Amino acid sequence: MRLLPVSYAVRNLGRSIPRLALSVLGSGLVVLLVLGAGGFVRGMTESLRRAGDGGNVLIMGIGSEESIERSEIPASTASLLQATVPGLRSEGGAAFVSPEVHVQLPIVAGNGSREGRLILVRGVTPAALLVHEQVQIVEGDWPRSGHDEILVGRLANTKLGVPQDALAVGQSVRIDGRDWHISGVLAAPKSLIDAEIWMPLNDLKEATKRETDSCVVATLGEGPEAAELADIQTFCRRRLDLEITSMSESAYYSRLAAFFAPIRVVVWVTAVLIAAGGVLGGLNTMYAAFASRVREIGMLRCLGFRRSAVIVSLVQESCLASATGTLIACAIGVFFLDGLAVQFSMGAFGLRIDAPALLFALSIGLCLGLLGALPPAYRCLKLPIPESLKAV
Amino acid sequence: MTPTLIECRGLARTYRRGPELITPLDQLDLDVDRGDFLALMGPSGSGKTTLLNLIAGIDRPTGGTLTIGGVEISGLSNGALADWRSAEIGYIFQLYNLVPVLTAYENVELPLLLHKLSRRERHERVATALALVGVADRSSHYPRQLSGGQEQRVAIARAIVTDPAIIVADEPTGDLDRAAAAAVMELLVRLNREMSKTILMVTHDPGCAAHANRTLHLEKGRLVESGLAAAH
Ligand SMILES: Nc1ncnc2c1ncn2[C@@H]1O[C@H](COP(=O)(O)OP(=O)(O)OP(=O)(O)O)[C@@H](O)[C@H]1O
Ligand SMILES: [Mg+2]
Repeated sequence: MRLLPVSYAVRNLGRSIPRLALSVLGSGLVVLLVLGAGGFVRGMTESLRRAGDGGNVLIMGIGSEESIERSEIPASTASLLQATVPGLRSEGGAAFVSPEVHVQLPIVAGNGSREGRLILVRGVTPAALLVHEQVQIVEGDWPRSGHDEILVGRLANTKLGVPQDALAVGQSVRIDGRDWHISGVLAAPKSLIDAEIWMPLNDLKEATKRETDSCVVATLGEGPEAAELADIQTFCRRRLDLEITSMSESAYYSRLAAFFAPIRVVVWVTAVLIAAGGVLGGLNTMYAAFASRVREIGMLRCLGFRRSAVIVSLVQESCLASATGTLIACAIGVFFLDGLAVQFSMGAFGLRIDAPALLFALSIGLCLGLLGALPPAYRCLKLPIPESLKAV
Repeated sequence: MTPTLIECRGLARTYRRGPELITPLDQLDLDVDRGDFLALMGPSGSGKTTLLNLIAGIDRPTGGTLTIGGVEISGLSNGALADWRSAEIGYIFQLYNLVPVLTAYENVELPLLLHKLSRRERHERVATALALVGVADRSSHYPRQLSGGQEQRVAIARAIVTDPAIIVADEPTGDLDRAAAAAVMELLVRLNREMSKTILMVTHDPGCAAHANRTLHLEKGRLVESGLAAAH
């Protein structure tokens, strides 16, 4: 098949600058929307996935398997576990067993805001840094027990709706009328923990007047002597008096992720609906653009160019416009959307514009070009040549 | 005697519009010799464009036979017909139909893209065609920068650049003033005389028709009379 020169398609784009701008803008917006939705879904899923670790086991109260925050277990659980189950990971005498309290507390940060916003506060011992390997203190120090000190995650400000510097080291926040000083900043890249506040376990228990822990996180050892999940499950079953149960930490968080599946579906559906509107708008501009060229297309076919050659040229034209929009959208996505923090009930996470999200957006952009061109092209080309030559 | 190039026998074209049958061309017999220059006249709606389109291979007859250069046109597939057109037919339109985003040169080059030619061969042919019609100095201009007469001359260059045997022209001077029309007619006569192109031209202007070797009159889809114009 003999094709029309690509330069013909390129120059056709220049026939109407407003229409070109509309096509580029339209496809750019649709792709940006898809990129945003994809980044949201990937960011949320990833933050939940990374909050858990496959080598960790969670011990929590029977009946509260759905939510650590509702779980209450005796404070003695951690030491009993350590004494009873051999083969848990330890290094230099430090056991990878972390008793924790998880509680959503209203926190007032910065000046101005009177009402506190809920954020997950985690009461921890230094063992927390052992079992949660993804967590690092990127600024300041570990909070000293009894000094009303806390660590804040890098995305905690998003969750609280305050500027970043309101949660800088040296600032303080109010919890239940009491000031807590920020001793350090913690980072757990791409994990939900990024939007938490950590404080010494005993301080949190005292402040919330509770004696129980929420859970114990333990890391399984490695090698032939290592404990397995089943060993801990046996421990839980033997100690009926403690009323505890266990599961792998990653299983807990993937269940949470499944709980949020409807939100992700809604995000996708919304994106698809708006994108469909964009496609219809794009179709409209293409109909107008091609309809004004019916006679010219008739002439091309009269010369001997096949329908398919004309379609290729029209698709090239439309894809060039949508590709331009798509590339602009991808650049905006990478530079402005990637890492953009969003909050949801569980915490906050950054939009994730990574290779799969970009690839997906690129293919959507390509589809826009194709879908936008084919129906109008079909309408122009279905006319017999003599009739198209009569078109005005 | 020159052999017959175009042979129409009982040629018919019928359109169906609802229950109604419209027959712009009915039982038409026509022979056109190689190298002939034929003018088609007749009232509006008499089927002149319809006949031209059938001979140009952009429309298909609903009855009869149409043989051109020994090829039965209605027997060709759509693809084969397109290839045949690009080799045998040059079409000149009343409204030029130049592509506005291509220069005069690129417009003339367009039909050559359907042929296996090197860029150099294409260049030579386009340059020759543009020189022949007298717009070589305008080759880098866009259609909007040309006068109507110049546009039509570029369109004629496009019609002859592939060196087709037959040139069909549908009211080629219909949109031009007297001087520009005269120049176009002069060109067509040269194409017929010097390059022995077979030309079929539809026109409403008896003055233009006078340039042809013979004039046919169509009325309601039938040939009513044919006269032999005095050869110069
Ligand atoms: N696609 C079509 N469907 C139905 N009728 C058609 C179609 N094309 C042409 N006709 C009819 O065929 C008849 C002949 O049309 P044609 O275009 O050949 O006339 P013409 O002689 O070229 O007229 P004019 O001098 O005005 O250009 C007209 O009555 C027209 O209405
Ligand atoms: Mg006509």
